[in-house]
Amino acid sequence: MKIDRRTLAASTAALFAPRVLRAQGATEITVHYAQPVIYKESYDAIAAEFAKREPNIRINWMTTPNYEEGMQLVLRQQATNQTIDLSYQGFNRLRLFAERGIAQDLMPLLRAEGDYAAEGYSPNMLALAHFGGIQSGLAYAASNPIMYFNADLVRRAGGNPDAMPTDWDGIIALSRKISQLGDGITGMWYSWPGDDWMFSALLFGFGGRMLTEDERDVAFAGPEGLNALKLLDRMVKEGGMPNLTRDAAQQAFAAGRMGMTFWTTAAVRGTIQQVGRNFELRTGPMPIIDATRGRLPTGGAAGMLIAKDPAKREAAWKFLRFSTSAEGTSLMARNTGYVPTNQLAIDQDRYLGEFYRQNPLFQAATRQASLMVPWYAFPGANSVRVTQTMVDQQARIVEQSATPEQVLADMAREVRRLLPRARG
Amino acid sequence: MRESSTGWLLTLPAALAFLLLVLAPTLAAVTLAFTDFELGAGPPAWIGLENFRELLEDQGFLKSFRNTVLYVGLVAPASVALGLALALLIESRAPLRGFFRAVFFLPVVSLTVAMASAWQYLLHPTIGPINAALRAIGIAGPNWLSDSSTVMLSLSAIGVWEGAGFNMVLFMAGLTAIPKELREAAHVDGARSAWERFRLVTWPLLGPTTLFVVTISLIRAVRVFDTVAVLTRGGPNKASEVLLYTMYTEGFTFLRLGYSAAITLVFLAIVLALMWVQTRVMDKRVHYA
Repeated sequence: MKIDRRTLAASTAALFAPRVLRAQGATEITVHYAQPVIYKESYDAIAAEFAKREPNIRINWMTTPNYEEGMQLVLRQQATNQTIDLSYQGFNRLRLFAERGIAQDLMPLLRAEGDYAAEGYSPNMLALAHFGGIQSGLAYAASNPIMYFNADLVRRAGGNPDAMPTDWDGIIALSRKISQLGDGITGMWYSWPGDDWMFSALLFGFGGRMLTEDERDVAFAGPEGLNALKLLDRMVKEGGMPNLTRDAAQQAFAAGRMGMTFWTTAAVRGTIQQVGRNFELRTGPMPIIDATRGRLPTGGAAGMLIAKDPAKREAAWKFLRFSTSAEGTSLMARNTGYVPTNQLAIDQDRYLGEFYRQNPLFQAATRQASLMVPWYAFPGANSVRVTQTMVDQQARIVEQSATPEQVLADMAREVRRLLPRARG
Repeated sequence: MRESSTGWLLTLPAALAFLLLVLAPTLAAVTLAFTDFELGAGPPAWIGLENFRELLEDQGFLKSFRNTVLYVGLVAPASVALGLALALLIESRAPLRGFFRAVFFLPVVSLTVAMASAWQYLLHPTIGPINAALRAIGIAGPNWLSDSSTVMLSLSAIGVWEGAGFNMVLFMAGLTAIPKELREAAHVDGARSAWERFRLVTWPLLGPTTLFVVTISLIRAVRVFDTVAVLTRGGPNKASEVLLYTMYTEGFTFLRLGYSAAITLVFLAIVLALMWVQTRVMDKRVHYA
C-alpha cells in the first residue's frame, strides 16, 4: 500500500473535519478504517444510508493509509485513553487486539438481537473474526486469492482463455509457453511476498494447517508444507516465474508483459484501472490442488468494538451491525471488489445478482466462497514477526538459493522459536 | 547581573524548544532502550542491557548493520568523489554551467519517495529501460531490486546519485573561496598540468570543505531509509535491511518499542562518533588559515 496524495488528503481531511454541531440527544462516535483508496466509497455509501435510519448518531471518521498504521493508531490511542469507538482492522490483526483486551466480545450483543443466523450472520461469517476465544469482530469485507490473466498472451501462447487449466500442472505448463514468447515476456507471478497469506493459500490448498490444534507447535512442517514449497519451486524452475517485488510484478502485468498473476480479489478494481485498454484482462478461480481437503484463506477486514461508554458503545454497535448486514455488505461489495460477508446477501439474488452479471471480473472470488477459511493468525507477541520469517524463507526458494526441504526445516525452526512458550 | 538575566530570558524560547523537542524525546528514547516496552502490552519493565544483548545475537540486526556499513562504504566515497569531479568540471569552463548545476542538484531538492518510484521504473527487470537497453545488446540484465546479490548495489547507486549533487554544490562553494592568483602563481612556478595545480593548490585548500562533505556524506548514508522503505522493504530475505529500516519494523510493525529504541541508540552513537571525529581529530589538520 503506497501512501499517495489522495490517501494523505483523505486522512488529513478526516482529522481536521469540523465537528458537526451536537444536536439534542445526539451521540457522536469515532470510527476508524484503513486503506481509504479501496474502502472510502463503500463507507461513504453505507454512512449515507445509515444516517437516514439513525439521524441522531454522528460519525467522526479517521482513516489510515494501511492496516499497519491503523493498528498503531488504535494501540497508541489506547495508551493515551482517547479512544476510537469502532475500528475496522485486517482479519490477521484481530487476534492481537483480542489478546491485548482491546477488542470486545460481540457475542452477547448478537445474542440480544435474537435469531442472528436468520439475519445472515452464519457460522462461516462469524468464524472469520473469531479470535482469542471471543467474537472479536464482525467481518465487513472478505477476499480470497484469484487468478488474473492476460487473455491476449494466453492466446498467443496457444492457450484458450475460455478454458484455462484448473490445476497447477496446467498453469505451470502454460506459463512456460508464455515465457517462451520472448521479448521480456514472463509467464506468471505468484504473490508470495508481503505476508504469509499467499503461502497459506498453497498450504491450505493441500489441506495443511499452520500450527497444531493446541498451538504449541508448527503443523506446516509435514508433507502439505513441503508440497506447498515444492510447488513454489516448480513455478520458478518450470514456469519461469521471475524474481520480482510485488510492485514490479503488478507493473509488468499491467504493461502486458506477464501472462498470469495470483493475488487477492481486492486488487480487481485497481488492476482494471491499471490495465486500462492495454489488453483483455480476465479473472478466474485459483487452480485446485486437493479437490476435497483444499481450502483458501480469507483476507479482508472486520469491525471491532472498542467503546466503553454505554451510549457510544450502543451507537457504534448499531453502525457495525448495519455495515455488516445484508444491505451494508452489498453496498460494500458494489463499491470495492471484495466478497460479501453476510450470508443473506450471498444467497439472495436481489442483493447482488445484477451487479455480478454486469461485472464478471468480480465473480471469480465469489465462486470460491465455499472454500474460504479464516486467515490464520499466530498467537503471542511475535505474531507479525512469524509472518515476516515465512516470507524471508520463501525468498530463498524464489532466488533458488535453497531447496524446499532446507527451507521447510529452517522455517519450522525459526517459527518454533517465535511461538509463545508453553505456560505451566 | 541584570544583563545576564536578560540574556537568559532571551534564550529562554530557544532553550525551551530545545529541551522539549530535542533533549526530552532523546532522553525518553534512551530510557526506553532499557525496557521491554511494547505498544498496547501493559506497563514496561526495566530489563537493563537485555535489549543490547539480544541485538548482538539477532541475525536480522547484524545483517542490517553489515548492510548499512556496506552502503556507507560504497555511497560516501563515491558521492564525495563524484561530487568533487562534477564541481571541478562545472567550475572549469563548462559552457552551460547554470544548467548542469541545476541538473545535478535536482535530486537533492526533489522528494526521495517520488524519485524512488522513478528508479523503480528505470530498474524494472522486464519493462524498465535499463534492462531493455541491455537486452538490445544481448545481455540479460539482473533483477536489480529483487535479487539479493544486486539489491544493495542498486540502492547504493541511487544513494550516490542523490548525494553527488549535494556534495557538488558544497564543493563549488569551497572552490569559489580559493583565490585565482594562487593557481596562476603555481602555473608560473612550473605546475604546468591541471593535475599538478589541483594536487598542489586546489586539493589542500579544499581540505576544510572536504572534511565537512565527507562527514555529511557519511551521516546521510547511515540515515538511508526512504529508498529501502519504498523499493525493497528490506527484502529479499533481509538482503537490503538497513539500520533505520530495522528500527522502523521492530518498533512499528512488530511493536517492540523498547528494542527499537535500543537500535536508535546504536544509530545515535554512530552519528555522534562521526561528528566527534570531525570536530576533534581531523579539524586540526585541515585548516590552512
